[in-house]
Amino acid sequence: MIRKDLALGPRSPILMYAVAMPVIITLLLQGVFGNLFERPPRLGIVDLGASELTAAAVALDGLRVTLVTDADELQRRVAAFDLDAGLVLPAGFDDALRSGARPPLTFYVAGESLASDRVILAVTTIDLLRAVEGRRGLVDVEIVAPGGEGVPLQLRLVPFAVLMALFAAGVFVTSFSFAEEREKRTLDALLASPMTLGEVLWAKGLFGGVLAAAMATVTLALNGALVGQAVGLLLALAVGAVMAALFGLLYGVLSPDTKVLYALFKSLNLVVFAPALFYVFPDWPRWIAYLFPTYWLIDPIVEIGQRGAGLGDVWWQLVIGAAICGAMALLVGRLSERVRAPVGA
Amino acid sequence: MTTRRTREFFARGAPTREPSRAGIVGAIVAKDLLTFSRDKLWMVLTPVALVFIVTMFYLMPPRVDETLVIGVHPPAMAAALRLAMGVGDDQVALTVVPFEDEAAMAAAVAGDVPEGAPRPLIGVSLPIDLLLRARLGQSTTARVYVDAAVPNEVRGAMTTAVREVAATAAGAPLPVAWSADEFVVLGTDRAGAQIPLRERMRPMLAFMVLITESLALAGLVAVEVSQRTATALLATPARTVDVLLAKGIVGTLLAFSQALLVLVVTRAFGPGWGVLLLATLLGAMLMAAIGMLTGAAGKDFIGTLFYGMVFLIVLMVPAIAQLFPGSAAPWIQALPSYGLVEAMTGSSVYGLGFGDLAGHLATAAVWTAVLFGLGWWVLGRKLVTL
Repeated sequence: MIRKDLALGPRSPILMYAVAMPVIITLLLQGVFGNLFERPPRLGIVDLGASELTAAAVALDGLRVTLVTDADELQRRVAAFDLDAGLVLPAGFDDALRSGARPPLTFYVAGESLASDRVILAVTTIDLLRAVEGRRGLVDVEIVAPGGEGVPLQLRLVPFAVLMALFAAGVFVTSFSFAEEREKRTLDALLASPMTLGEVLWAKGLFGGVLAAAMATVTLALNGALVGQAVGLLLALAVGAVMAALFGLLYGVLSPDTKVLYALFKSLNLVVFAPALFYVFPDWPRWIAYLFPTYWLIDPIVEIGQRGAGLGDVWWQLVIGAAICGAMALLVGRLSERVRAPVGA
Repeated sequence: MTTRRTREFFARGAPTREPSRAGIVGAIVAKDLLTFSRDKLWMVLTPVALVFIVTMFYLMPPRVDETLVIGVHPPAMAAALRLAMGVGDDQVALTVVPFEDEAAMAAAVAGDVPEGAPRPLIGVSLPIDLLLRARLGQSTTARVYVDAAVPNEVRGAMTTAVREVAATAAGAPLPVAWSADEFVVLGTDRAGAQIPLRERMRPMLAFMVLITESLALAGLVAVEVSQRTATALLATPARTVDVLLAKGIVGTLLAFSQALLVLVVTRAFGPGWGVLLLATLLGAMLMAAIGMLTGAAGKDFIGTLFYGMVFLIVLMVPAIAQLFPGSAAPWIQALPSYGLVEAMTGSSVYGLGFGDLAGHLATAAVWTAVLFGLGWWVLGRKLVTL
């Protein structure tokens, strides 16, 4: 059964989807949404005299600097909100600054830029001007983070990417494979052979589960989150992959055809992916996340893979995850009776 | 045993005149709508998608938070900090929360604030003798408390602000001839009245509905093709043109009615309602065209879904680009849905009218006509070769 799925799998768009998913999701989350929610202020500079200010601005962390060729183009881009603000530095600007001549400087601001971004850009510009002027440094400033340093948004989105990888492979592949066997009546042919329904379910689950573990590992690696203890991570991924495959079997036995399966995905995906939101918004009460079964799948993986926790820290979560898997296996066994009945009839 | 309806049918005899073209198209439209209403998948998915989209819209924040909340210790330094940052008392960019105690300020930055009190993400502790030392040209140390979420550029700006407090106290003028009041604002100044992300998301949400309905039409067409019921239809007085017209009407009707519902519920209609209505209609026709194109392949459900998604993901790109600031990249502007999205955003977010959006509407109309023509041609060829 597994050999047949392996041979026919590459022809299925679902399998292609499951394999491509980690790369696509990683690109989307890191490249698009990371920038969407944590967009640094954008400053455009027209530098007509190779000012030191430009080099210092480009080197600044947390500021996106664009060099623009002329003042008209700068004004056009600021007006179109392609930039938050812009400066035009005339030739000889640095010398004028150092001589104390206080050269005029126009600061263009995009009407749609955030008020806070305007202040940040203006204050940062003043700092750069002081640096070029050579009159900075009366006060030493010590930065203190009383709550500790947090996790950047890109890393907070990793659980979502891992869940997507686990579900694309473990749930989609497993459930579509089984639902298609039912829809095309090839399941009848299989059950007419010495193969039992339990063996079919095992084969489908094993195929999806192994693929899910592999894709989750790839996703963690792509996101630089393979830092934890290997044994612990392996166990956490195994529990995650088993749960994903069991979800796939559950969806499969509940769906007489692929259309119903699609409707199930659309309806239940919010519940399945909800725990990932608690990593994006860490202030939300964590007890709510405990209510979702998939939380017990994703949390040990994140704790070990991303935060460097050991098996000793997450063993109880793995036990709860394994218990949920056991309950789901029983449920799949019970519901599979509904699949067997019409075939026998 | 014959029923009453059967007896009546035979009593009427053969039809004496050809049915009108409109009657034939109407009959096919009615049949398709009936088939759609009997399809459990779409009857479940359609309301689920609508509820999900509307809920998502209303769960998103209705306002843009563009204010920096900064704690200051000692309270007497609050005015000096505002001055150094060039922000007046009436400006939304900055809220200064004075603290008598530095430890309390640090706790507030860490999240320990009373219920209802504003939480500063940054706390600035300035030495009480800062101004005196600055005047004497002596160096000193200040402390800036930050929450972990505060990005580097804000930390840098706060460091500068503290230095500027000292520079101002020392009588050092700004090295250039400008002040915060002399900024040149280009474009409509939206400081304090920013457009929330959810408003920008409206075209994307409407597109999500249109996509669902495009797939529904593709499913209907695919079934007609794969089960050869289209051939049976063509054995009646219905011509290929009638079938194609009916499919176009069904697809447009389904997509338009539901996108309209979402736009009404999310209160998208304002001064530019006419443009929005027209853009939605064009969007519905565009999606009907995609439904005809993908359905013509006559694949099974999964095949239709994947063919459709290839087109629809590409068409979604301009709607996603609306979430980012600034103008879209040239390749995004070349996509068929770009004009539609611009027209929808311009009318629903900025209240623009026909005069402002005529170019985008014209582009959208041309693309819709091209794709509709293509869908018509592909499906037409498929029907006659079945």
